[in-house]
Amino acid sequence: MFVSEPSRGVRFRRLLEMALPFVVALLCVVLTMVPFGFWPGVVVAPSFALMAVYYWSLYRPDLMPPIAIFLVGLYQDLLSGGPLGLWALIYLMVYGIIVSQRLFFIGKAFFAIWFGLGVVVALTSMIMWGICSLYYGTVLSPLPIIGQAILTFAIYPVFGRAFGFVQRRLLSAS
Amino acid sequence: MVDRLDQVERITLPFRVFSYRLSMILMIGLSCALLLLGRAEAYVFDEARNKVQEATAPLLEFFAEPWGAVREWFTAFDDVLAIYEENERLRQENARLLEWRDAALRMEQEAARYEALLNVQAGPGIGYLTGRVIGDSGGPFAHAFIVNAGAVDGAAKGQAVVDTDGLIGRVVSVGRHASRVLLISDINSRVPVLIESSRYRAVIEGDNTRLPKLSYLPENAAVQVGDRIVTSGHGGLLPPGLPVGLVVMGGDGSLRVEPFADEARVDYVRLLEFEFPSDAEPEDSEAAPEAAEDPAQLGMANTDEAAQ
Repeated sequence: MFVSEPSRGVRFRRLLEMALPFVVALLCVVLTMVPFGFWPGVVVAPSFALMAVYYWSLYRPDLMPPIAIFLVGLYQDLLSGGPLGLWALIYLMVYGIIVSQRLFFIGKAFFAIWFGLGVVVALTSMIMWGICSLYYGTVLSPLPIIGQAILTFAIYPVFGRAFGFVQRRLLSAS
Repeated sequence: MVDRLDQVERITLPFRVFSYRLSMILMIGLSCALLLLGRAEAYVFDEARNKVQEATAPLLEFFAEPWGAVREWFTAFDDVLAIYEENERLRQENARLLEWRDAALRMEQEAARYEALLNVQAGPGIGYLTGRVIGDSGGPFAHAFIVNAGAVDGAAKGQAVVDTDGLIGRVVSVGRHASRVLLISDINSRVPVLIESSRYRAVIEGDNTRLPKLSYLPENAAVQVGDRIVTSGHGGLLPPGLPVGLVVMGGDGSLRVEPFADEARVDYVRLLEFEFPSDAEPEDSEAAPEAAEDPAQLGMANTDEAAQ
């Protein structure tokens, strides 16, 4: 056995690696808040953080424990001014679904992963609409969330690749 | 060695599954508890929201700045394409506006003379500060902006926020260098307004769609599609007379308001420093006698005490 104590530099690097998916997800939350103004009249932005949560739950759930997922959601809730705990709950649901279905996804082609995101987004959008309608005590218009779901689905190939790049270049294999 | 690792893996697996399940249940429970608590006592988390917003503001500004530049570049490109028609349109508009300017100047003088004759108390002046939108909620169920003007710049809770076209919302929380603006389309937003031509009062209620609802109109109110809506100043939160939007018919047959300001395109905004004259007589004829009685009662109480 030649397991020697890792040097300080290696340990520091490992710590950084462990925090990387979490930091990427937090950055995605900030990105959601940047006023893009895609089209006149369209206020919703794609849910970048949902893509990050989806990606990391699928490929590196070991680096994204439930508490990290919760904190990402909480950060978005605090920043966006919406109901507190809403995004946290949604992200935990995504995480729970993906972690339980990981065996199905692993090794599948990109299109299967993309399709999986579509299913997850559709499901969580419905749940979110239900929770918000209850929260505000009125039947909310589903249009904004449908818009957000479509945007999120449409833009995932770009972000999925970007996360893949981060994973390959900056994370050593588990 | 591989065998040993495998063994370790096998022994710890149930524990890891257990700890995963436990933390999942804990976190989901915590989220639900926050949802319920936030629903009942929303203000509990105001401080936390302020702190997070304050801490994120520099990062948001960092992202918003280059994007703003890109956006300006795109609009500039659009403008170049349409420069000829735009020029023609502006020429015509300018001719029309010059006529209006003469009319306005004449009316201003007339109004000033009437005000002097009638001894009208003019409303307080409105100061303003300008801020840049550095964040929007981006979510489907919350419509808010983060603006990079905070308490140190003079921002205060309740200030009306406008852009060049009309009312956007009002300030709901203020940090040191950034504040949060609740948009008129947000489900929590209620703004007292007037139909400008007929002076009927109403309230515009946000419902998270682009066009807020026009509610609490009197039954017999004569409202037409295309009427201008302005703030009424009732309730003392917003200055009266700010342009809000035009009346339109919603898809569900209800009256709605198409705001003059397009929230998707807003970048610089003005926060209006408006001091509502709090010691003025209330405008409601019903409320007036009551308010008039109060000081008298207070005065009597004081004299009673003095007598004792």
